[in-house]
Amino acid sequence: MKGTRKITILSVFTSQALVLSIIESMFPIPLGIPGIKLGLANIMTLMTIVIFDFKSALMVVVARVVLASVYGGSMLVFWFSIAGGLISTAVMGLMYKRYEKYFSIIGISVAGALAHNLGQLFVAVIVMKELSVLLLYAPFLMAAGAIMGGFTGLIAHFLLKALKRIITT
Amino acid sequence: MLKKGDIILLVITALLSISGYVGYSMYMDRIESLSKIAVIRYEDQTIRRINIDTVDKLMEFTVNGIYNNKILVEKGRIRVIESDCPDQVCVRTGWLTKTGELAVCVPNRLMIKIEGENLEIDGVTH
Repeated sequence: MKGTRKITILSVFTSQALVLSIIESMFPIPLGIPGIKLGLANIMTLMTIVIFDFKSALMVVVARVVLASVYGGSMLVFWFSIAGGLISTAVMGLMYKRYEKYFSIIGISVAGALAHNLGQLFVAVIVMKELSVLLLYAPFLMAAGAIMGGFTGLIAHFLLKALKRIITT
Repeated sequence: MLKKGDIILLVITALLSISGYVGYSMYMDRIESLSKIAVIRYEDQTIRRINIDTVDKLMEFTVNGIYNNKILVEKGRIRVIESDCPDQVCVRTGWLTKTGELAVCVPNRLMIKIEGENLEIDGVTH
């Protein structure tokens, strides 16, 4: 794929991810457990990994997180988002490249969501300097990650089916 | 659509989160019977400890930091009632009534947790 075309599509993906993250911030999930959200922006990260590569996905994630924190959110929220975004992208990128034989897009998305949630929990432990009680959140964050990750993975699966041929040709 | 690895991943995740939850509830039951002490931590320090079982009139105070959290205490329960932080997770958490429950305001680095304490023993050491 030519450079200009790639940059254009990556920009569109970034803006899509940004819009998705703004939309989901309008619908907080009132479970009383911090950090549980839909993770819709993950759809665009997955798309980028499959259509382009890991490096492009990293660019999309970093651009999305930086822009999202420009539109609202504090410095600390930025660190949480960037930590979650980078670790989930790394896990998904590695799984797609090496273990694509064993995992579908849905499984890769679930693993990304788990990595995202546990990564953020890890950051929270460092910030709050409180290991024991935050560990109690881990089961809930894992269950949420599996459900939300499966959901976004399913969306990415169908979106890829529809878009892959149009974009790559 | 699903592959072998997906199923394994989902099963392992389900097992881990269920066993984690069971462990969590067992831990909760064990500490249920103790006196409930609300511990308020700001940054890395415990700034207040309140035995919420023995509070008999309404208590209200504010923790001022980067953001301000207004905390309300009644008999047997405590909550963040107002906060000017961006995410409002602490306010939405609502009342804490049971040992082990937790309200966190990460932007302000404030944490309220309810600890169980055996006062008969600690009464001597305090």
